[in-house]
Amino acid sequence: MLEHSDPSTLKHVGHSPERQEAQAKLTGDAVYVSDMTLPGMLYAQIKKSPHASAIIRGIDLSRAEKLPGVRAILTGADLDYRLGLYVVDKDILAKGKVRHYGEAVVAVAADTLAIARQAVELIEVDYEITPAVLNHMDAVKADAPLVHPDLGSYATIPEVFSPQGGTNIANLSKCRKGDIDKGFAEAAWIVEREYTNPSVQHVPMETHVAIVEWKTGDDITIWTSAQSPFTVRGLFCYTFKLPLTKVRVIIPHVGGGFGGKAGIHMEPLVACLSRKAGGRPVKFQATREEEFSLLPCRSALTYKIKTGVRADGRICAQKMEMYWDAGAYADYAVNVTRASGYSAAGPYEIPNAWLDAYTVYTNKPYGTAYRGFGHVEFFWGLERHMELVAQTIGMDPLEFRRLNLLRPGSLTLTGEKITEHTGNIRKCLDSVAAGIGYGELTAAELTRERQTGLKIGKGLATLHKAPAMPPFTATAVIMKMNSDGTVLVNVGLTEIGQGSTTAFAQIAAERLGFPMDKVTVTVEKDTDRDPYDWQTVASKGLMLTGNALILACEDLLRNAYEVAGQALRAQPCDLEHDGERIYIKHNHDKSVSFTQLSVGYCYPDGNAIGGPLIGVGRYVAQGLTNLDKATGQGLPALDWTYGAHGIIVEVNPASGEFHLLKICSAYDVGKAINPDMVRGQCIGGMIQGLGTALCEGYIYDQQGHLLNPSFTDNKIPTARDLPDEIECIIIETPQLDGPFGARGVGEHPMIAVAPALGNAIRNAVGAELTHMPIRAEDVWRAMGRKEPVETWITRTPTGSCRSVLL
Amino acid sequence: MIYNFKYLAPGTRGELHAMLADRGPAAALLSGGTDLLVNIRNGVVRPECVINVKKVKGFEGITWSAEEGLIIRAGCTINDLLRDARVRADYPLLAACAHDLASYQIRNRATVVGNVANASPCSDMAAALLCLKARAVISSSRGEREVAFPAFFKGVKKTVILPDEILERIIVPASSAGAPGDYRKLKRISGHDLAIVGVALLKQDGEIRLGISSAAPTPVYVGGLKTSDPADLVVAAALEAVHPISDVRCTREYREHMIQVYVRRLLEEVQG
Amino acid sequence: MKIKLTINGAAYEKDVAENSTLLRFLREDLGLTGTKEGCGAGECGACTVILDGRTVNACMVLAAEADGATVKTIEGEARNGKLSDIQEAFDRHHAVQCGFCSSGMVLSVRELIERNPRPSVGEIKEGLEGNFCRCTGYTQIIEAVLDVTGQIDRKGEMTHA
Repeated sequence: MLEHSDPSTLKHVGHSPERQEAQAKLTGDAVYVSDMTLPGMLYAQIKKSPHASAIIRGIDLSRAEKLPGVRAILTGADLDYRLGLYVVDKDILAKGKVRHYGEAVVAVAADTLAIARQAVELIEVDYEITPAVLNHMDAVKADAPLVHPDLGSYATIPEVFSPQGGTNIANLSKCRKGDIDKGFAEAAWIVEREYTNPSVQHVPMETHVAIVEWKTGDDITIWTSAQSPFTVRGLFCYTFKLPLTKVRVIIPHVGGGFGGKAGIHMEPLVACLSRKAGGRPVKFQATREEEFSLLPCRSALTYKIKTGVRADGRICAQKMEMYWDAGAYADYAVNVTRASGYSAAGPYEIPNAWLDAYTVYTNKPYGTAYRGFGHVEFFWGLERHMELVAQTIGMDPLEFRRLNLLRPGSLTLTGEKITEHTGNIRKCLDSVAAGIGYGELTAAELTRERQTGLKIGKGLATLHKAPAMPPFTATAVIMKMNSDGTVLVNVGLTEIGQGSTTAFAQIAAERLGFPMDKVTVTVEKDTDRDPYDWQTVASKGLMLTGNALILACEDLLRNAYEVAGQALRAQPCDLEHDGERIYIKHNHDKSVSFTQLSVGYCYPDGNAIGGPLIGVGRYVAQGLTNLDKATGQGLPALDWTYGAHGIIVEVNPASGEFHLLKICSAYDVGKAINPDMVRGQCIGGMIQGLGTALCEGYIYDQQGHLLNPSFTDNKIPTARDLPDEIECIIIETPQLDGPFGARGVGEHPMIAVAPALGNAIRNAVGAELTHMPIRAEDVWRAMGRKEPVETWITRTPTGSCRSVLL
Repeated sequence: MIYNFKYLAPGTRGELHAMLADRGPAAALLSGGTDLLVNIRNGVVRPECVINVKKVKGFEGITWSAEEGLIIRAGCTINDLLRDARVRADYPLLAACAHDLASYQIRNRATVVGNVANASPCSDMAAALLCLKARAVISSSRGEREVAFPAFFKGVKKTVILPDEILERIIVPASSAGAPGDYRKLKRISGHDLAIVGVALLKQDGEIRLGISSAAPTPVYVGGLKTSDPADLVVAAALEAVHPISDVRCTREYREHMIQVYVRRLLEEVQG
Repeated sequence: MKIKLTINGAAYEKDVAENSTLLRFLREDLGLTGTKEGCGAGECGACTVILDGRTVNACMVLAAEADGATVKTIEGEARNGKLSDIQEAFDRHHAVQCGFCSSGMVLSVRELIERNPRPSVGEIKEGLEGNFCRCTGYTQIIEAVLDVTGQIDRKGEMTHA
């Protein structure tokens, strides 16, 4: 909730104190699961499928079983459990058939990593290769091989998802607003095009890792590098039919998540190995190659957009078809489809809209949540399309966007009304346009063009996102006062590098009126100790947990005041406090310290009242609704964070080589709790967005082997890949129901970087790019109107790129 | 590393030669380790033993003499080369190629000799050494022999080095000193990457010499060109000498295009 | 085989497997888990340590090769419980998010500023290109380096390359 505090009186919120856990990370003291060993611990390794689609004819374990030091081996036949966040379609180990390159087939636990690896090498799996379907646009055709022939019988959440049995469609989400045919009938122009982008990987610096100990009596402890301890526990117990009290999930420091660690991944398999090995703890850490193929990636997307525009430039109709490449398992992809669906038209007023969004199975490593939850992918198409529409009707792209932006009073695709508190997309767009001097080249830029022979172009893109989460998403905070008056805060939201720990310490210190050094927010998560939080995803943590935190502060203070009132013989309304004590407003000398109150107040004669001071706050998203399955109408959005990017690019017209001279980004965050940390998120996210734009993308051969499963050929931006100049503008239109007016910005900086670049390149040299990534060769081809390179499922020879199952 | 191998660290040439004579094909030579250890990890090679050459007396560093020129020994890392004042002053092409090789940490370990002996078609150092008329000095228990660089490479990751031999040092002749030159390397990012295609160009005494990487099974040398030749001729000679492939990194067409672009750029930018 | 080496000023004599990397030796044999593994193939720099005065990827060095060497890991950067100047600058400039790249990054910076006490932004970028960071976008790291080398003030920002 908004604290109506005058910004000039805020002592902590709005300032940039150092990160609470930075020292531990900077000294090597911070422990990550990858650093942990436990007594008696075994090491797990996995035999993975080299084929995209095959029947498992037989598995010969005989030589592996005999290897000294091997303590447990499991195959799919040993495990009768099905998992799935939304569509229950995945076995813990492949059963009977494999559905993607890199899929786990056999798991081994042994005394050492070397023995486990050797054992894996000694296992022989006999495969009968079956036809695979690799391209999602082929997978939707009637004659495509079925990745999940039994799809129709899988459990799901029918209120939300619609898997189509007998096809490769795991979900179809729809949105119907207004009357699409009438809308197109009004159009003076109709502009249609298709946009595509490949799968990419999150590339957390710490790969997925889990240690599980399954003790007698089903007492299970899971240590995992993950984002959502309660989801791990919940799905685990659901799968193994255990009460939640049997499983404890512990998450220490996490070396990056980006959505790839949002759900449940290796934990069930590792747990089964521990159980098979008589309860000894088992550790599995993915190699970087496994991170690229055994662990999930981000779905590829084909996005077809058809826009009708009136003579005055206002959009009157838009038909959108999205085809999401889920890979072999639905995981989060069905929800990405749904969440993108309602956001797919961007921050524009579209009176008549029609959207069909398909989640399509293919025989490839599967897609999971990834920062932006579909928005990075579809904004590529959307903002390139807005540019195309503007070009087609002869309007300046900035003017066209301004004309069609959502404004107070507009209705979104789902029928939600935008107000002046939703956020200021117009200001975001205008700020970045000014930041890059959009629309013309300065004298210096013109001189530079003349001197270098290179062309300078400027492009813009808008972005928006609301948290993709259930309408009943909830969280709680427990705040405990120690006997020295310091406060320890337990939250279920996980620190994955985004800085939640520090932001919460600031909010707590502010609301409590304490100095920051009296407030500690614990970093390690423990489902036995911490209160429930849904998941650390969706850019909702600051808002929901921040609110719960403020309520917890108020609860703690209320409890303290109650006891203080008795001790001071005053009513709570007569009391005030500072960082040390509670005192009578009109008689400051009459006071009692927090230390005295912390674990119970004791009178001089020994009588005691009160007890340990604990504050509890809980917050659930207010007023959200499900989406109507047929029309997609409803109120799914906790809040909308708007933003925009402006890019100045310099392109070599002879070669297609290009370089970013400047990127200017703006986001309406409501209130920057810690401006330096917000800047860090913004730049970090923008660079990750640049990676998607410039150099990331999975490449498969025609048999579905992943050709770039390592950093040799799957590149991410380095320090040398920064634009020359980076400007980050924070806009603060308060979120009325956000803590101190804040709303989230964790995912947003990544969104729309790619189309801003695509638009800038078009402005520079006229190259029309509709496919990602944008490499020099792609620009060169587009400039020359040459055939684009098929980079996803390539027909070209592999040369020295090897498919390596490590 | 999963594979168990024997680790040997000979202290003298004699010991090293004896080990190679004894184990030859089952041994792998370890200088920088930045290619070998990755290959062992990835299961590409499974040597029975790994011989560390960095402790061999006489294999350290880099020296220069007016008669011979630059002597780059087996233990000389890429960064050792870059730090050498003579290299920086008189062999700018060598410095340019070295500078673009991988990352700083890799350059602290990777050796010039190792990079060249690995004989990747993408080798950055090979491009320079071809232009500079460098010679490889290969030794074994049977003695020493010299091979000029174009003849050194036989195919993808194949050289003339026999199983019982070691590339002990590289001689970059004094006659190549002072020749201006530069290297252009196409990468997928501005950060460290292997060469998608690389062109080294050297001008000396009215001659133009080219070294092209990632455009054939081996790094390619193009000679017989003069500074007075028109750019189109130089470009044609370069394209004639290479046969790039299409792979997942780049198409043949774009490799050819960028060879042209780089040759023209270098012709203009390299003085001489 | 036995190796003898000095790590963060302390002498060690240990038996190592011939095929063990320096990275594995540090983390598993000695419990110095500050140095991280990000790829095991010499690409990402998470395992950067300083070996005989030069930064290297510890995953690309055999423990055996470090016999007789002097090694510095992240555990040797802070002294007597006090953060070093580089660590403090990182802290001030919010150059740490998830922290997994930080160990390698700090040591790369240490070696960079020892050989180049006043690096330009371009030199910093080149010096750090072998250290991947997925979280920060590098900018605040570069600002920390500019700060610790006296080129911007405590709250300074870098706006131009």
